[in-house]
Amino acid sequence: MSFLNPFFLLGLAALAAPVLVHLVRRTRARQVEFPALYFVRQVPQRTIRRRTLRDLLLLALRCLALLLVVFAFTRPYFTSAGRAAEREGVRSTVIVLDASLSMRRAGLFEEAKRRVDALVGETAPDERVALLSFGEGYEVVSQFTTDRNALRAALAGVKVGFEATDYEQALRGAEALFRESKASGAKRVLVVSDFQATGWDAGRATFRLPSDVRLALIDVAAGRPESNAAVTNVEARGAVYGQKYTDKVAVHVANFADEERGPFTLDFQINEQTVEKREVRLAPREEKVVEFTDFNLGEGTNRCALRLRADDFAPDNDFYFTLRRESPAKALIIDGSARGGDSFYLQSALAAGGDLPFTFEVRGAGAVDPNALAAHTLVILNDAGLAPGPLSEGVERFVEAGGRLIIAAGPHTRSESFNRALGRVAPANLVEAVQLQRGETVAMTALKSSHPVFEVFNEGGRMPAARVYGYQRGEAREGASVLASFEDGSPALVEAGAGAGRVLMYNSTLGMAWSDLPLSPVYLPLVQQMVRYLGEREVSAWHRLGQAFVVEKGTEGQPPAVDTPSGARLKNVNEAKGGELLLTGREPGFYRLRYAAGYDFAAVNVEGREGDFAKLNEEEFLAAFTGGDPSASPAADARGRESGEEIEARQRAWWPLLLAALLLLAAESVLARRTKVVKTVGMKI
Amino acid sequence: MWWRRDKKAKAAEAESSARGVPRFLDPEVLARIGSLELLARAVVEGFIAGLHRSPFTGFSTEFTEYRQYHPGDDLRYLDWRLLGRTDRFFIKKYRADTNAQVTLLVDTSGSMRYAGAEGGVTKLQYAQFLAAALAHLAARQQDAVGLTAFGREVHTHVPALNRTGHMRTIYGRLSTLEAGGETRLAEALHLTADRLTRRGVVVLISDFYESPERLAGAFQHLRFRGHDVIAFHVLDPREVEFDFEDSLLLLEDSETAEQLPVLPAVVAGGYRQRVNAHVEALRRTCSANHVDYELVTTDRPLDFALFSFLSRRAGR
Repeated sequence: MSFLNPFFLLGLAALAAPVLVHLVRRTRARQVEFPALYFVRQVPQRTIRRRTLRDLLLLALRCLALLLVVFAFTRPYFTSAGRAAEREGVRSTVIVLDASLSMRRAGLFEEAKRRVDALVGETAPDERVALLSFGEGYEVVSQFTTDRNALRAALAGVKVGFEATDYEQALRGAEALFRESKASGAKRVLVVSDFQATGWDAGRATFRLPSDVRLALIDVAAGRPESNAAVTNVEARGAVYGQKYTDKVAVHVANFADEERGPFTLDFQINEQTVEKREVRLAPREEKVVEFTDFNLGEGTNRCALRLRADDFAPDNDFYFTLRRESPAKALIIDGSARGGDSFYLQSALAAGGDLPFTFEVRGAGAVDPNALAAHTLVILNDAGLAPGPLSEGVERFVEAGGRLIIAAGPHTRSESFNRALGRVAPANLVEAVQLQRGETVAMTALKSSHPVFEVFNEGGRMPAARVYGYQRGEAREGASVLASFEDGSPALVEAGAGAGRVLMYNSTLGMAWSDLPLSPVYLPLVQQMVRYLGEREVSAWHRLGQAFVVEKGTEGQPPAVDTPSGARLKNVNEAKGGELLLTGREPGFYRLRYAAGYDFAAVNVEGREGDFAKLNEEEFLAAFTGGDPSASPAADARGRESGEEIEARQRAWWPLLLAALLLLAAESVLARRTKVVKTVGMKI
Repeated sequence: MWWRRDKKAKAAEAESSARGVPRFLDPEVLARIGSLELLARAVVEGFIAGLHRSPFTGFSTEFTEYRQYHPGDDLRYLDWRLLGRTDRFFIKKYRADTNAQVTLLVDTSGSMRYAGAEGGVTKLQYAQFLAAALAHLAARQQDAVGLTAFGREVHTHVPALNRTGHMRTIYGRLSTLEAGGETRLAEALHLTADRLTRRGVVVLISDFYESPERLAGAFQHLRFRGHDVIAFHVLDPREVEFDFEDSLLLLEDSETAEQLPVLPAVVAGGYRQRVNAHVEALRRTCSANHVDYELVTTDRPLDFALFSFLSRRAGR
């Protein structure tokens, strides 16, 4: 038995008072000479004994009542042996060990493992304990067991990772363990962590532990410095088609400290060669963007890195990404003229730089071999006026096989013939050609500005400075997406997938026949975006650690072997639906992809926010996950044991003690009343 | 309890005053008188003087004409006035010329040393006062007065004489009596019965811690020898009431020094019952053996005792 307020035990000294008084009075009984002991002796002893016994009983009742009151005030509780006898089932404990990136701070994870080991040692022999490690997800290190040696062996194999922190996932994992094991009896979760605020989004938290699960927090990072600067993000186009990278590489550098940091040197490296250095100085809690541009790239995948020379937490000072310099694919422009002259403006716009992924060739429809279409990646039908025939069939086959197609429907396009020729792949059915009166124009409206085609403009409403004199009125087919409309609501730009390919259809001319669009400043970026959208492969410059990404098969049709940044061969890889490799990066750096024809790289980076070590509010955290359960507190279970307050609050032994004391005092009152001295019976003289 | 004693004393005083008895018969007052002879004279003379002023006029100054009524006495001689005044039955008798021999038998056992109140009159003192007064009264009537004192054994014996200077001897021996030893009352009575050669009045003053059965034999012995026996049962009020206020007492026997712890509140009721029973048994024993019995407590004036003596002295 233990006591919540042991100092009240001093009240037991009061018990000595009646006993002492009794003894003192007894030893000091007045001695009196009396001649009539003859008669005194004749008084039956049982009377004296009865009174003596009654007095002793009164003394006992009073002492016992006082004892019970004192004990009630001490708020006693029974520890593990008693609890086990009271409860149904043994206690189950899940120890949740933070193995996220932030725990890589010097000695922190080792300390956390020591604390876990201590917690295991403090559990009751019959207590079932499970071990779970977590970062962004969780891993069950050990299912519920009473084998402490097995637990410790499993703990020894736990390694700190690079993942970000997600406390909600970890607690969900713990709850799942309880549920799957059908644990009865008391349940508790002990979280051993540095409790950084970025691991918990209070605004989005919806999960709550069941009411019968206690939660305790063991902070292993109390008092550690929280200052840190990190490279948190890099924005870059993953693939380019020219030697010079003309876009911007935007590097985000953050200071997570409350004081100014720097100056730091930020090194930009390509293939382990430093190409540029910048000096960075950061105000408290500032995030700055540093841009790099106009640097040369070699062919293929270039391994790029930003290295922040800061003397703090190292894992987030390096940021890795790849920039691929690819050879442009072949694109074919088919127009209606025998010489391809109708595509002058189009060809000029596509040839005006911009690092497009294609090289373009212009052919008249009559000069195109349908079988040669497969050698291209992109085909542009620039008002070609195709009639049903081998070419149109070839175009349909091309698209359905994965090719990209841009259709410009101008005055040479007959609606009925068009529908028959390209009905399988065209995003819209043409109804009729609309030729406006002289001086009349129509504009494109209802632009989907969020679509990549228009992202360079990023504005809605009318396409600025473009006048359309004629257009094909049509109806978008089912499943097609209307990206822009003419003022009468007729679709102007429509997109749809067809087989493995994709088609963009513009229901006017990309030349001067029906609009002055080529003369508009928007013409060049528009057509280049259309081409990029259909033709450019989406290439990520880097992947976040913990997120799965697809690694394409090689030319031979086989997925590559993968080496981790630390040089280990990755085994047990997953395959995607199409046979590609589904890779989840578990460590930052470059993963080497070994193809038969060569190798490639994929860059993986840690979550930038994980470098912010500011602590979360533990009170709020507990309240959020326990629903404000008063028995859960940061101070409780510091040694991995149910706190005295928790046990006492559950047992509430004080009230039956007080009740018993009241009953005893009532009995004492009744008994005391019966032992009053009998009145003297007078004698006649 | 003091207020009860005081109440009783006041009641006795009131009673005495009603009969015109002076306060100097109060034992506490008498205790201040150093000389027994002087005390005796003062008591007797005062008692008699009070009698003159009493409503009981027409009495002989000797007051031997009254004795207590016994069943069978002729009711023609019952003094109805005295009955009305005292609620007690007395038979009026004419004075007889007795020249009797009066033997005072005083118990000096250890129990007679007891005084319930600190500084109060002990039973022995009271017995001394009473014996002295009775001796003076008897001598005044030309009776021969003797004295026998006993405890464990008879240690004092003054033969009954009626001569000049003898009373001084009586007073002197009375005043030197000291209490101690066990009570051998019955043996003392038997011894007295054997020793006394002449019939007379034997006045026994004791606290009577003796079994009534044994006393009966002794009384029979005395009566057989022709003596009139008057028994004065002297007790301290506390011996009657057992009104200790202590919750716990260690009682020590006056004669044996035996100690007995008691809870007075527990014992009082039973004790009183037994004392009452003992007194009643003594009464019955005395009555059965024609012994005049009077119970007096040491806080009561001597008049009743004197009055009783006088009535006995007058003879049957």
